[in-house]
Amino acid sequence: MSYAYLFKYIIIGDTGVGKSCLLLQFTDKRFQPVHDLTIGVEFGARMITIDNKPIKLQIWDTAGQESFRSITRSYYRGAAGALLVYDITRRETFNHLASWLEDARQHANANMTIMLIGNKCDLAHRRAVSTEEGEQFAKEHGLIFMEASAKTAQNVEEAFISTAATIYKKIQDGVFDVSNESYGIKVGYGGIPGPSGGRDGSVTQGGGCCS
Amino acid sequence: MQEAELHDLSDDPDYVASQQQGSGGSENQKCTRKSNGPTEPNGSEVVYSKDNVAIHPTQYASERISGRLQLIKRDLSLFMTWIPYKQSASYGVGQGSRVKLPEKDRNLYTIRAVPLTDVRSIRRHTPTLGWQYIIMVLTSGLAFPPLYFYNGGVREFLATLKQHVFLVRSADDANVFLVNDLQDPLQRSLSSLELPRAVPVANVASSSSSLASVHSDDNSNQRSNADYHDSSFSPTESVGRHRQKVRDPARDLSIQVLEKFSLVTKFARETTSHLLRESQIFDNIGGYEKQQQVHSSPVKNQVGGDPVSQELQDKNQIISDPLEKIACRNGKLCEAAATLVGTFELIDSKEAEQQSLVWGKPRLPPLGHEEWATFLDEEGRIVDSKALRKRIFYGGVEHGLRKEVWKFLLGYNEFHSTYAEREFLETMKRSEYETIKHQWQSISPAQARRFAKFKERKSLIEKDVVRTDRSIPFYDGDENPNVGLLRDILLTFSFYNFDLGYCQGMSDLLSPILFVMEDESEAFWCFVSLMERLGPNFNRDQNGMHSQLLALSKLVEFLDSPLHCYLRQADCLNFFFCFRWILIQFKREFVYEKTMRLWEVLWTHYLSEHFHLYMCVAILKKHRKKIIEERMDFDTLLKFINELSCHITLEATLKDAEALCIIAGENKAACIPPGTPPSLPVEGGLLE
Repeated sequence: MSYAYLFKYIIIGDTGVGKSCLLLQFTDKRFQPVHDLTIGVEFGARMITIDNKPIKLQIWDTAGQESFRSITRSYYRGAAGALLVYDITRRETFNHLASWLEDARQHANANMTIMLIGNKCDLAHRRAVSTEEGEQFAKEHGLIFMEASAKTAQNVEEAFISTAATIYKKIQDGVFDVSNESYGIKVGYGGIPGPSGGRDGSVTQGGGCCS
Repeated sequence: MQEAELHDLSDDPDYVASQQQGSGGSENQKCTRKSNGPTEPNGSEVVYSKDNVAIHPTQYASERISGRLQLIKRDLSLFMTWIPYKQSASYGVGQGSRVKLPEKDRNLYTIRAVPLTDVRSIRRHTPTLGWQYIIMVLTSGLAFPPLYFYNGGVREFLATLKQHVFLVRSADDANVFLVNDLQDPLQRSLSSLELPRAVPVANVASSSSSLASVHSDDNSNQRSNADYHDSSFSPTESVGRHRQKVRDPARDLSIQVLEKFSLVTKFARETTSHLLRESQIFDNIGGYEKQQQVHSSPVKNQVGGDPVSQELQDKNQIISDPLEKIACRNGKLCEAAATLVGTFELIDSKEAEQQSLVWGKPRLPPLGHEEWATFLDEEGRIVDSKALRKRIFYGGVEHGLRKEVWKFLLGYNEFHSTYAEREFLETMKRSEYETIKHQWQSISPAQARRFAKFKERKSLIEKDVVRTDRSIPFYDGDENPNVGLLRDILLTFSFYNFDLGYCQGMSDLLSPILFVMEDESEAFWCFVSLMERLGPNFNRDQNGMHSQLLALSKLVEFLDSPLHCYLRQADCLNFFFCFRWILIQFKREFVYEKTMRLWEVLWTHYLSEHFHLYMCVAILKKHRKKIIEERMDFDTLLKFINELSCHITLEATLKDAEALCIIAGENKAACIPPGTPPSLPVEGGLLE
């Protein structure tokens, strides 16, 4: 399937906050409570439409454990967007946000759009982090913020799409040189060709939603 | 092929020399006659002769067997011979073998008048360092061991060949020359699909004659004998391309089965593995009789004729093939089979076309109970642990036997321990396990509140065990007690080795072990043993992983320099895309059963304790073309590698990895620095 743009996303955050479940909900529209833990990195992809333009999101779902940080850092390279996820029922996952953000700032490109997601909002009765605290943290660090639930699918679509919308707007505003793929954006057919011309959409194995 | 220039060779000095130098003395020419070589010296013409062409039966060049390579033309046919020098003569030649090998060993490699119609392709290797060599692949899918041209001259050899047979450079690989290849690719593909009767006659003759080399006395293969006796292997027939031939039903049957390359290869493998199995069993019980039978089979046609069966009496002296020699210096296993097929290496022709990668030995069926019993003495000691490890390396273990065998492979039970000692150990270890387990079980909630590290670990483990292999029946369903066992064992381990603690990936490694052991304490101790090897994978600073990735990079540089070159350009030399493979030993790349098979093979540490790295190289090499052609960048490559999961053929990859491991030979020491996990401090026994 052809796309105007391809955006690379990376999902980061502590282990067990629901990164893989968010991805699965977004790509497959289902919640799978029993799911093998992520070793290294997993991939997902889906087409969305923004401003009538088909945009392919290629999403990298990373392992959350601290030990793997040195490897995870290499995945930031060329990501246009990041979903930074914490679990609203586990305070420590919120406390670690600063360290994740530091990694992201250090290893990703400066214009990467970061969406902060407080996951598991269906478990409000076990909430350990208030919505306000999440908002506050996002504001302080210039992030977009949403609470979401991979289980109920609440805000999952919105989180991924509004991140894409932000990136798309940055393109329109000329923040990126889209011909430079280190920004995590590839131009496909129907996209706005950069100075060096567009790239063939087939390079990223177009099609399937579960690639 | 031009007009035949016939003349008597008795006045040809080269021919006379070859007569004198040919090993096996007077029998030499007789054997040639028996095989499908020239029947009479007169009427033959030596069109090419090259001295100091050697075969390396071992990884050491110093143990080479030197000889003379010749192309002989007779009637319209061209034959290739390679006759090793006689031992005494070789010293005179100067560059001959420095190591004295038994004469019979040398004979095994003798190539007696193979018609070029039997040759499918010739691969040329002209490394910048080291000697040029060629590998000849027969139409049957078998290949001769590399022929090293110590005085150079590969180009000349090919040029001569080109004057006499139809030689075409492979489109896929400039170093591969297809022999007698049909020009029209369409025709070629048709011919491989055609029904027997339509098969070009040249192929017919070659298939059946070269197959005689892998036919055994296997009862299920009576056809082989019939085939052998029925067909008259005269050289004129071998050039059958130019002739019409009367077919007999037996031949047609064999063609039908064998014409397609894949089938030929499969057949050859099955036959070989049967032989290996048989010979091994008989080896264990010390039976010579069967070996004699084996060697009186038609196979001698290719491997050297009559002398072989007599010489086999001294079986421990037999050199088999390069793989065999390295693998088995004490020559305990597989001699018979190695003798029968040992001068060949199996090549999957489909693969060969793509990758030209020489395959390892045929895989065996998994080790079963009966055979296992032959490895034990009355008191339960494993008499020859190396033979056992070799056996398992080539075939794995039947599932029902894993519970017993894995404990040895992992080093939890020592090979030389007796039944009684193992029973005692088990009791001791069971109570020791309970003691360690009690350490964390006795932590009260109040204590836990003040023990953040414990709480953190416990919660991490609890989060992970419910995300480990839950689709496997053994772990599926709510409140599955086995999931609880995973948790208990991992928590206990994190107390047993508090410094290492728990890290993601460990549950993946434990899961099959618990599944096999079905016992908490036994699974724990086996896991402990495995962590003795793989613990560095989980170091907080990831140094164990980084050192393996570095070793992998060096191996790829050595074994597949074009790929290494490409990865350098693409800035992918960190090999992070192989991270998951190495961290959990391919656990996520294969289905459960295959993972267990792979692990027991890896745990033998048979050819290398770093065999998993050769697995990586084998897989990468297989996809090298795609990786390079599609100019994959880091992201694309990572994704591509991830998506190979469950699309890797285990047995084929093991064979490739074996071949690569052999090829790496002595150089692997330079590629894999000491201490690279899972290197252990050498404690004798397990590692030589």
